[in-house]
Amino acid sequence: MDSLGGTPYYILEFGDELVYFSPYTVSLFLLALVFTLFAVIAKPERQVDIAFGGDAYYAKETSLQELKFRRFMAIACGFASMGAMVTGDVFNFTLFISLVGICNVGIVAAVKNRHVQNAAYQYGIVALAATVPLFGAAATIAATTGTLSMVELWSNATPAVPPVVKALLVLGVMGEGMAPFYAAKAEMFRAPGAPYVIMCSLSSLLIFLRVIEVVLVI
Amino acid sequence: MWQEYSIGLLLVFIAAVVAFFALVVEKDDLHRLLLLDLVEVPSLGIIALLGTDLAEALILPGLVVGIAELLALSQIYVTKEGLREKAVRGLNIEVIQADAPLIISVLLICYGIVLSGFTGGGVAGLGVVFYFMARGHREHFELLEMASGISWAIWIFAFFVFMFIPEYWLLALFMAAIGILMKVIVKMSLVGTMWGDGNG
Repeated sequence: MDSLGGTPYYILEFGDELVYFSPYTVSLFLLALVFTLFAVIAKPERQVDIAFGGDAYYAKETSLQELKFRRFMAIACGFASMGAMVTGDVFNFTLFISLVGICNVGIVAAVKNRHVQNAAYQYGIVALAATVPLFGAAATIAATTGTLSMVELWSNATPAVPPVVKALLVLGVMGEGMAPFYAAKAEMFRAPGAPYVIMCSLSSLLIFLRVIEVVLVI
Repeated sequence: MWQEYSIGLLLVFIAAVVAFFALVVEKDDLHRLLLLDLVEVPSLGIIALLGTDLAEALILPGLVVGIAELLALSQIYVTKEGLREKAVRGLNIEVIQADAPLIISVLLICYGIVLSGFTGGGVAGLGVVFYFMARGHREHFELLEMASGISWAIWIFAFFVFMFIPEYWLLALFMAAIGILMKVIVKMSLVGTMWGDGNG
């Protein structure tokens, strides 16, 4: 049994749900793990504003409550990405992806700034709308092939998944992984969101990489 | 069977296209939020079309994710628009201020317990929500949360029994049914009391 990401080292089965560790998924999993640890130990950056016309600057403090919320969201996002990397069940994959979407909404929305909140709201709308193609694709895969397990789907024992359904799955993941676009729109990368906002970019990158593998193997 | 599935799928896709079109045309943020709820329905419809036990198991997480995102978005909307919290003191309707909510709630809760499982939880939860909404109670959150946590633990424990000692499946079935009943009741009643309260 060969998959695109190399021969799985280990397939962990819970009834009909399964998790598999192939070289590809393990490397993505480790990446998510390392960045989650970074989010655990990182301290928030202080935004510095220079006062015009004088030799002064202000450093904005991040309150403890806001710090805790953002850190929690970043860690939750890391866990959700880890789950999405190793799961071998199409529906669980879509659930983890939408969880990543929710956490990214939280990370973006944690900054109390009107522009940022606006961007978070627009992103939330996209992420919520994207659950339609996402769950739709997973349900249609179950309907056309009779299984949700990726291992069975790549074993050629099941009917092929129609390309339209794969396209829907990719569309859904694109919608959920749009966070960096909105974070960039709100200029969060400069200071207000750092360093937790890095989790948005990383989780989007990881889910895009994983969905390519999923679409090619099923 | 396949033909029926295809017709259903076609209908759901038409519904999804209509909802997305409305979302594109609508410019007001609050109305968009309401339309999103409509957009969610076709996605559950596609899952429901499977028409198997699996569909039932998949709708639940799909619904939870949808509701979670909707709650998060409404919270962001409230913060973004700077809306203030208003004190809510129950509904000002004569019939509701009398004993009607109590009787209806008790009936719903009893019927829910008879049904048991997820459906029963939904029915009984509706009864509790109705009571809280009619009376505007806001207390005992810790108690509700504790009940929720314990029922969740019972539920998970029942799953372990299913996995590791399947001989006791009947016991596990009852535990899971009671666990989810409690869990859904508590969750729904929390939703009923959460309005207007910032930390609900």
